[in-house]
Amino acid sequence: MTVSAQQLHEQLATAVVELDEDLTKQLAQQAIDLGFDAWEAVEFGLVAGMDRAGKLFDEEEYFIPELLLASDAMYAGLAILRPHIPQQNTDAEKVRVVIGVIEGDTHDIGKNLVRIMLDVGGFEVIDLGRDVPPRTFVDRAKETGARIIAIASLMTTTMDGMAEVVRILEAEKIRDRFKVIVGGAPISQGFAKKIGADGYASRAPAAVQLAKRLVSEPQAA
Amino acid sequence: MSELTQKERLVRVLHKEAVDRPPVICTGGMMNAAIVEIMRKTGHTLPEAHLDADRMADLALDIHDHTGFENIGVPFCMTVEAELLGSPVDLGTLECEPKIAREIYPSLSQVDFKNVEQLAHSGRMNVVVDAAHRIAKARPDVPVIASLTGPVSTAASIVDPLTFYKELRKNPAAAHRVLEYVTNLLAAYAERVLESGASVIAIGDPSATGELLGPKLFEEYAVRYLNALADRVHAKGFPIIIHICGDVKRVKPQLASLHADALSTDAMISLPGLKAEYPHLTTMGNLSTFALQWSSPEKIATMARNLVADGIDIISPACGLSTSTHLESIRAMTDTVKATSPVTSA
Repeated sequence: MTVSAQQLHEQLATAVVELDEDLTKQLAQQAIDLGFDAWEAVEFGLVAGMDRAGKLFDEEEYFIPELLLASDAMYAGLAILRPHIPQQNTDAEKVRVVIGVIEGDTHDIGKNLVRIMLDVGGFEVIDLGRDVPPRTFVDRAKETGARIIAIASLMTTTMDGMAEVVRILEAEKIRDRFKVIVGGAPISQGFAKKIGADGYASRAPAAVQLAKRLVSEPQAA
Repeated sequence: MSELTQKERLVRVLHKEAVDRPPVICTGGMMNAAIVEIMRKTGHTLPEAHLDADRMADLALDIHDHTGFENIGVPFCMTVEAELLGSPVDLGTLECEPKIAREIYPSLSQVDFKNVEQLAHSGRMNVVVDAAHRIAKARPDVPVIASLTGPVSTAASIVDPLTFYKELRKNPAAAHRVLEYVTNLLAAYAERVLESGASVIAIGDPSATGELLGPKLFEEYAVRYLNALADRVHAKGFPIIIHICGDVKRVKPQLASLHADALSTDAMISLPGLKAEYPHLTTMGNLSTFALQWSSPEKIATMARNLVADGIDIISPACGLSTSTHLESIRAMTDTVKATSPVTSA
């Protein structure tokens, strides 16, 4: 039975959205064996499948376990396809994001979801982990040339650390070099505004849209 | 009705009996009121009070006396259980609550099963049990609430959470084994602390929300083990309060099936709405902790008055309080509830 590239992309996307890691790996290998373009298999297969999983998550058909399993399938397929992607495709200049959970807080499920979705969305993500001091966000953003600082907090008791990141940026007069986005269960648009952040997203897929919108805005000099 | 003690009022509400007005409480644990302002005033401070029964009792009494909450709650964190099960804990500072430094097991299938009865007699469980005993003796008329971390949250504090959530779907057999294990430990702990003087158990299970798990897994894991724990508490003859974090709209039928004597929710939930849908529920909540931290005392008083007017059975903060919350703001809440005129009992 012959399969077209398009059909295989669809099967890949379906395998990801149906959380089938083994099938995703098989299909990724099949794409290589059949000589299909690996980059297209990633973009129209794996990433498309992950986008669908993200959509189902937004529609509350999928929840945390499903989104994590879909991302496992996607990354497993990616590990097979990546060595076959020509260098110029992967070297394209990506916008960098530093992301982490603020100091005092070790709940990182939400942060990990946003990291995965940003990665899928074409950003280069530098993950600082959890329990990250405000100063570290700023230092690492400067070092890596990041345009976005993404901060998560899951506890009402640690939210002030987010404001501290903004205060440090202002004190160093580098506030306009970065877009600061915040999220997490106790965070709201009102809180983001209050601390002078550039944006807030209530859910992981929305964070990607927010990041894309912010970097498309004209950058301050 | 003659003047009720704080303990009588809360216990009566939890037994669905008539009272003069709703009690205003703060359970401890995830929802504790160990604010910096009180600790600076009294000198009974964290993190020391996490480790020593006398200090824990002193701080819990300070909180009761200063805030006006009509209960005494211990402990002041959600790490007692996971620490005993092996996860290293960072006890935090005066301002910052303890946290799990690292989940000790990489996956559910690697959990090492220990003797829960022995565990329930060790570590900081002893501190909490001893503190509850001292407090109950010092204030027999005030309900002592022991706050426990829920089964799913405890399990997610000993197993790497990313793997944990995936394994709930991929490896249900291992998930049930671990949840049964932690539930047994929690029940043994609850029984000890009730024997030592606590009169109510409160459970917070923030890793087990409908938003995180979805209705199916919420039912399979959260409801099942919360109910198993609640049944053990009831078998001892005591009431249990269960707090469910986050937006509950996808799991309302499951909430209604919890064996809780009161159900507490986050600030975004309309408790009158929930009660209209499920009239058998005893509702608790849900004054925004964001408001408690940032709004004026007048605004907070209005919010508290509205909760009472809405017929909420127990008035309480909706979530964990920031340690920088002002005492004046908390007093605005507690004083307002206490000043409400008696409800005409049905």
